[in-house]
Amino acid sequence: MNQQAKTERIKNIFSSNQMIVIYIIAGMLILIAGINPSAFGPATFIDTGRSMLTMLMFALCEMIVIISGGIDVSFPAFATFCMYATTKLMVTAGIDGVLLSFVIAGAMGLGLGLLNGFLVGTCKIPTLIATLGTSSLIHGALLSFVGVNDITNLPPQMDEVGKQYLFQVQTDAGVSSMSIFIILPIVLCVIVWLLLRYTMLGRSIYAIGGDVNSAQRAGFNVKRTQYFIYMFVGVIVGIGGMTYTLLARNANTTQLMGSEMMVIAAVVIGGARITGGHGNVLGTILGVALINIVSNNLIVMGVPTYWQTFLIGLLIIVGVIITSVKAKRVALAPKI
Amino acid sequence: MEKQVQKTGFLRKIEKSTLWLLLLLIGLVVVVSIAAPKQFVTLANFQSMGFQLPEFGIMSLGMMICMIAGGIDLSIVGMANLSGIVAAAFMHAVGVDSTAGMAGGICLALVVGMACGAFNGLLIGGLRIPAMLVTLCAQQIFMGLGLVITKGPAIAGLSEAYQVIGNGVVANAIPIALVLFIGVAVVLFFVMKYTVYGQQLYLLGSNPVASRYSGVNNIKVIVKTHMISGLLAAVAGIVISSHYGSAKSDYGSAYTLQTLLICILGGISPVGGKGKLAGVVLAIVIIQVISSAFGILRVDSFLKTFVFGLILIAVMIMQYWAGSGSKKIKTTKEKQIG
Repeated sequence: MNQQAKTERIKNIFSSNQMIVIYIIAGMLILIAGINPSAFGPATFIDTGRSMLTMLMFALCEMIVIISGGIDVSFPAFATFCMYATTKLMVTAGIDGVLLSFVIAGAMGLGLGLLNGFLVGTCKIPTLIATLGTSSLIHGALLSFVGVNDITNLPPQMDEVGKQYLFQVQTDAGVSSMSIFIILPIVLCVIVWLLLRYTMLGRSIYAIGGDVNSAQRAGFNVKRTQYFIYMFVGVIVGIGGMTYTLLARNANTTQLMGSEMMVIAAVVIGGARITGGHGNVLGTILGVALINIVSNNLIVMGVPTYWQTFLIGLLIIVGVIITSVKAKRVALAPKI
Repeated sequence: MEKQVQKTGFLRKIEKSTLWLLLLLIGLVVVVSIAAPKQFVTLANFQSMGFQLPEFGIMSLGMMICMIAGGIDLSIVGMANLSGIVAAAFMHAVGVDSTAGMAGGICLALVVGMACGAFNGLLIGGLRIPAMLVTLCAQQIFMGLGLVITKGPAIAGLSEAYQVIGNGVVANAIPIALVLFIGVAVVLFFVMKYTVYGQQLYLLGSNPVASRYSGVNNIKVIVKTHMISGLLAAVAGIVISSHYGSAKSDYGSAYTLQTLLICILGGISPVGGKGKLAGVVLAIVIIQVISSAFGILRVDSFLKTFVFGLILIAVMIMQYWAGSGSKKIKTTKEKQIG
């Protein structure tokens, strides 16, 4: 009996959502290595890590919102607003400082998050509609009141930090460098993991995602939790946007817009259920890794650029179908 | 309650929210007419409004039925563009000037729209994936398919005859596209009000479990709803590609928010089951008047994005306030039914 339970558990681990994503990632890597062995090496991993950097920060935010039973499509607009307004402010006021830029962007994000929190927590507006509205509002406000043109003349300290590397690897094709900003998403992963797993606040996020009414009756403060979620997400999105600017060494008003699709897909492929209550940090990391590996290597694999949107869309829908069918099967299975 | 019963005739039939929308529309028209009488109150202006309105108007009707069914359709713009592209590609393949090619292209576009809708509907109804997620992903797929067909640039050089749909007028004044929009709205009104499907749609939206237990095939209704939405998107796609004289996969990307805004403004409940076509049609006209006013006042399009977002949020907050006032009545009502 005990033996049976043990094998059952091992079987569950190997057929879990995260393992499926790992299988797909492994398959993709083998495929890439088969088609173009020269593109396969430490440089690939460093490039993937670098391109994952900001997306992972946004994905962790999106995951928290999705666990709580909502969805957030406003973060690209928020991130764009924070990074552009902060950069513009610092350039025009003539102040410099990396840490200061993060503080300002984070504070702006906090304010914007408060707006989402008010709409969702107090006014009980469905999250998709509320965040679509704020997305349009904030991006429109940025373009009509703050500015439109790219800012490329960053203050010297902020410009310099984009060229700071944690380590570099010499390959035949050139030097691959890992930015020091990779520390940010790693720290964030640990924070979010601890928050979701070991704090009452984190458990209440899962609780309201599972069933709002039950959570309320069990004594969780739904409103306060929702305010916390959106404000926390706002701060992280602000910092994530600033990271994007410092890495790219320019502030742009349109580049991030439209990235919500990929981020939501990464989170859902990583095992978070769009209906709420399920999801974890490891799954999200894997989901982001998968999407990045695929989108970075389509060119290496010789796929024409005009096929990419469709193929990534196809990958996403297949991922969504697999996780949904699995979730349905779990929901219908007899419970002991 | 008693007051409502006492009202007779026409006024009793119109819902309170529809009346408010009508007043809002009249107020807006009066304000804009006073602010810019020379530009707004002209035949040319009303005509150009008539050309612009059908594009997002027809899409909004598709969004409306999906929202009444308790879902949402974020892939409308993708379906519209894909349909337009398929029609354009077909016409180029057959020969741009052939009439048969044009008819075939239009039919093919409608079929593509319905197929896209069926794809959405099957995933939503059959696999029970939330509509929001399915249509968000589908938008990417449809846009990607459009890109695969066009390879990037727009398919231009469509025939004069085809361009008449989006640019022609009947009786020297009324745009053909507007007539098309009115026709679609009238047909949809009868479908929603007088057919079994229409009743099933509202039932499904307000309570899917009750709908299933009363013998309705929910999957069938969901698939049908999304197919209608796809069909309407295809009609809108034909109008758009005909209007521009070309088809591309990223036309009208602002319409997703606009259609949602129209439905919310028109009184469609975001949780499903409630809302009337009349409200949505009024909301479509209101948004068009606001758009035209922006054009006349030469305000840049970024501010339009800002204002549309603001209106959406303001309407939702107002509905929340109105809702919290009548909460007491609602709960007693629910108890009576339960």
